[in-house]
Amino acid sequence: MNLLKSYLLPRIAQWVITVFIGITVTFIIPRLIPGDPVERTLSSLGSLQTLDPRAVESLKEALADLYGLDGTQFDQYINFWKRLFKGDLGPSLSAFPTPVIEIIAKGLPWTVGLLTTSTLISWSLGIALGTLAGYSPKRLWWQIVDKAFISIYPIPHYILALILVMVFSYYFPIFPLVGGASGKPTLSWTYISSIFEHSLLPATSLIVLSTAFRFIMAKALTTTVAGSDYVGYAETAGLSKWRIVLFYVIQNTMLPQVTDLGLSLGAVFSGALIIEIVFSYPGIGYSLYMGVFQADFNLILGITIFSIVGIATAALIVDLSYPLLDPRVRYK
Amino acid sequence: MKIRFDIISWLIVVGLSSVLSLGCKDQPGTTETTSSSSTKSQLPVDVPRQDVFVVDQIFRYSIVENFNLWMPGPPSPTRQGLIMDTLWYIDQETGEPINALASQPPIYNKDFTQMTVKLRSGVYWSDRVEFTADDLVFTVNNLKSHLGMNWSTELDLFVKKVEKLDDYTVVFDLNLPNPRFHYYFEVRYNAVWMQPKHIWQEVEDPMTFKFNPLVSLGAYEYADADPAGYWELFKRRDDWQRTTAGMLTEKEGPPYIMTIFYGGSERKAIAMARHELDLFMNVDYEAFQAVLQKTPTARSWYKSFPWAYPNELNGRYFGFNLGQDTVLNNKQVRWALTLALDIVDLQTEYIGGVARVTAIPQPATPRLMELYHDPLEEWLKSFQIEIEEGQFYHPYDDSVTERIANWAKTQEYNVPTDASKLRLMFGTGWWKHDLKVAERLLLNNGFTRNANGQWLKPDGKLWTISMIVAPDEVDIYRLAIGAQDQWADFGLKLELETLQRDPYSTRNYMGEFEAISSWGNATSGDATADKWQSIFGLHSRFYTPVGKSTAGSGSSNTLRIKSKEMDSIIDELDRLHPEDQRVVELGQAFMKLWIENMYSIVTISFKKFVTTDEHYWTGFPTSENPFIQPLYWFGGGRFTLQHVEPVSQIAPNR
Amino acid sequence: MKILKDLFKHHLAFRAGAVIVLLVFLLVSLSFFSPYEATERRVVPKNQAPSLNHILGTTALGQDVFWLLTFAIRNSLMVAGLAVLIGRSIAVLLGSFSGYMGGGVDKVLQSIVDSFIVIPRLPLLILISVIVKGGLNLWGLALLLGFLDIFWPSKRYRSQILSLREREFTYTAVFSGMNTFNIILKEHFPFFIPYLLADAVSGFLWAIGMEITLAILGLCDLTRPTIGTMIYWGNYYQALLSQRLWVLAAPVIGSIFIVVAFYLISTSLSEYLDPRTRLKRLGASQ
Repeated sequence: MNLLKSYLLPRIAQWVITVFIGITVTFIIPRLIPGDPVERTLSSLGSLQTLDPRAVESLKEALADLYGLDGTQFDQYINFWKRLFKGDLGPSLSAFPTPVIEIIAKGLPWTVGLLTTSTLISWSLGIALGTLAGYSPKRLWWQIVDKAFISIYPIPHYILALILVMVFSYYFPIFPLVGGASGKPTLSWTYISSIFEHSLLPATSLIVLSTAFRFIMAKALTTTVAGSDYVGYAETAGLSKWRIVLFYVIQNTMLPQVTDLGLSLGAVFSGALIIEIVFSYPGIGYSLYMGVFQADFNLILGITIFSIVGIATAALIVDLSYPLLDPRVRYK
Repeated sequence: MKIRFDIISWLIVVGLSSVLSLGCKDQPGTTETTSSSSTKSQLPVDVPRQDVFVVDQIFRYSIVENFNLWMPGPPSPTRQGLIMDTLWYIDQETGEPINALASQPPIYNKDFTQMTVKLRSGVYWSDRVEFTADDLVFTVNNLKSHLGMNWSTELDLFVKKVEKLDDYTVVFDLNLPNPRFHYYFEVRYNAVWMQPKHIWQEVEDPMTFKFNPLVSLGAYEYADADPAGYWELFKRRDDWQRTTAGMLTEKEGPPYIMTIFYGGSERKAIAMARHELDLFMNVDYEAFQAVLQKTPTARSWYKSFPWAYPNELNGRYFGFNLGQDTVLNNKQVRWALTLALDIVDLQTEYIGGVARVTAIPQPATPRLMELYHDPLEEWLKSFQIEIEEGQFYHPYDDSVTERIANWAKTQEYNVPTDASKLRLMFGTGWWKHDLKVAERLLLNNGFTRNANGQWLKPDGKLWTISMIVAPDEVDIYRLAIGAQDQWADFGLKLELETLQRDPYSTRNYMGEFEAISSWGNATSGDATADKWQSIFGLHSRFYTPVGKSTAGSGSSNTLRIKSKEMDSIIDELDRLHPEDQRVVELGQAFMKLWIENMYSIVTISFKKFVTTDEHYWTGFPTSENPFIQPLYWFGGGRFTLQHVEPVSQIAPNR
Repeated sequence: MKILKDLFKHHLAFRAGAVIVLLVFLLVSLSFFSPYEATERRVVPKNQAPSLNHILGTTALGQDVFWLLTFAIRNSLMVAGLAVLIGRSIAVLLGSFSGYMGGGVDKVLQSIVDSFIVIPRLPLLILISVIVKGGLNLWGLALLLGFLDIFWPSKRYRSQILSLREREFTYTAVFSGMNTFNIILKEHFPFFIPYLLADAVSGFLWAIGMEITLAILGLCDLTRPTIGTMIYWGNYYQALLSQRLWVLAAPVIGSIFIVVAFYLISTSLSEYLDPRTRLKRLGASQ
């Protein structure tokens, strides 16, 4: 009970404050975009058909009314929270009257699926390779791996992705050019294998780059641990190399790695814009991007809320699970 | 030991990566064979490749399966033509009016306060209900009573009463005289689409209604879509002969039409090389060259140079913000800037020679050239500007097309020798490139040069102009860097501000720029003689001051022009029926006024590399057979797509 | 100075890194002697593959890739360097202040920091670049990148400080009557600096990467050559599709070199400065 009061409650209160401030900031900033959503709609209409100027004024009023943009900013803010507690993110202003939640529901599974999988793979791969490389840095093989990752790491994601597309969709047209799957969503093998086929290139580009990052991190951490006393004792005690790596090295570098994993997983909600642009892969990154340009406040806010809550919650979970991971830490 | 390994391992990494990159470089020769030999289509739909015509979707939809195209929102290219219909169309290539759901042109009363429409019989909705006057009357009333929907406030403004006389006759009573009221029902890009009364009358809130399942009035109906908005599939209706597209073309069209968004130019080029894209709207010049190389069956409007489709009804210009107090408000300064430009260099080195030059604010298409450019040629030749008190100068140069043709010959392109054919290929004359006169114009207006030859403004400060431009609009960007280079040679620094397209548009509408490289407003045209659509919004009664958006006031006057003479031209034009004889005269008067004041420097017409791959499908219009608009993404594209037919060797059993 | 000499003697990695950095700076300083202005076009033949006349080839607009690269690296280094300098110095101050003060101050500061951490950075960057009128110039970009890279690092620095505070030698120092400032300077900083250096390199990388991303999206000043805008324009004129790889290769390989060099230097520096390895080295040389 004491634990709850002295640790859990303040930590949860902190979560609430963080989320509140984060959402408030994301409410305010998009409203600073020059030009308002009604004018955006009118200008995109005007580029397709002649709007009679004599009828535009009343159309403008009607749209402002529909979009719920009348009243002061503060009123809109209060209304926003009222709606949010009812689970309503409001209508998208660039695709009025489609509810924002509908747009998110279509894109989010792709984004989350791709990013979660590739994060998990690159995390495990990076740590495994990095730890081994850090433990036996003098082997030629690990030296090569080390250099390769250091050189890959700075390659801009966009360039790597573009090269993958050129090589595997153009010179060797093996992979599909567009989308996340083919055919209707079913539980059939063809559908599931098409998901795999479509995601392979995007995932590869993500995995290669973030494995490089994890590798460098893990190697650095391992180098410090490998030089520590207890690993030295273990070596003198003649424990097998695998035992040492598994039980002494990895275990002691795990804490920061798990923290990082948690936060990376929390961050998957903000989308992978470059992936969507280069591979024409579905997701919410592009919706968010276009939302910014079309001053679609509701859409920006709707997607960002997921991201904010995602990261804040991941941090919360990581914090709460520290004692489970590291017996030295106790709730104070 | 460690040192050696270190060096060795670096060498290995560098070596491996260079081998890899060289390997990629050597591959391209094999592309064609590998892609054509792969039989499995990687299109995301389960339809035989020979049955589906795959067209470029232009952009990714944020929502699909919502067919309520009456709500203002993201535009709906291509599909509006496939599934919707309305009374009339104007073919954007030939300028011919097409009677679609209407059986004849609109009939007005004398003072244009009443319009009668005769409807075609035998046109059916896809749910086998006949389209009748009830649907038209319902649509107009339904839109009128839901302000905020597309066309709602305009119909509300003009329509006093709409009623049917019989199943095929409808009469509109108007609040105000309007000789162009039928424009709302006449498609360029889109127009008031018909709603099936038997569906929509049950709908409680037409604004949130998704119109799904769709009841189509076009030759196609909805079949499938990517929830992420990358593609949409349409299936030909069994009773396509009971639609206007079927009736008027008497062609069946492909069994399936798929619109698909691949992304940027390079991705469209890749998709076409893989034969997974049969038709695209546009790519940039470099990607188009790659398409020509990699896809031998692909072609654009012309079979060879200058390839691109030149007849889309719009043009490019350099504009100046006349609502701000700068030296650019002086028309002599604008003339000086014009004469400091070399149009031949702009059109060739920066645009690749693939667009038509136009000196007047009107796109240089064959039909409009007959109506405007040709009749104005004599006036242009005799037109003079005053350089100094009593000193006049002829700025027009009719040798432009010939010089462009000479450049084309140096590039080893085949060009016609006949002057009139050259004019059709490269457009009209333009303004002389005369730095001497440009200099005199500036000197007379108090400008001076400093020791480095750079221009100083009358107030003694260094003259720089800041121009906004959006690089993703390829032509306006390339023209802008051309102007930057050419004005630099003249001693004037042009600062380019590169913006993403949306912030660019906002700045344009708000008047927050000094100069702009842009397109549209007065420079755009109509496929008919009528200039009303592109200039009505320039009337000073809709003038929007700098800092307020022209989009919010419905004005197209982003340049902030205020002219009494222009107002009177527009006022007179507004009262005339578009087929009145005087319409062309007024259009010409408008253009003369524009040139005398050099409100904006008009450069070239639009060009688009509208390209088809004739691997699976053929029948698309070309310069040899320009029977219909290739602008398939416009509403009128419904007729164009109907003409597409399979290449015979693909389906030998037919 | 002595440190540098030492490092140069003992560390191959440092030597290699230093040589590359030197080369990079040489390249940057060459930009001041470029025969062409950074924004000049049509000064050399278009689309030439690398040759003796143009060792890195030429662009579609008739610019020499080599000279363009000198400007690009200069601008990118400036942006990333400034961003790291701004971001990390505020982050160090914020993190250590929060860490040493603890209590209520720490709580308030951490709430603010957390609230910014949870907002995804790329969308925020895109948003701000759209809001800033006239787009982002190089200075604005550096400032913005610096600002956005305060919060994460400050949190890491704080936890670093917290753990240092709990270490044995801190208690020893406190008992032996050292004042706080001295403790921080003499006892904590030697441990903190290597960490900071390694971290600064990752910040540098992030800034370069973000500059490239924003340029690719067309959201920063595309008229100034940077590594990002070189990639943007290379791509804009279809370097990959038209087999003109050299236009893209130059900035990409350039950025790899820069990052690898800084990486090598930072690892060798932190290894050198790390008190534990220093002790070891002393033991070995005796």
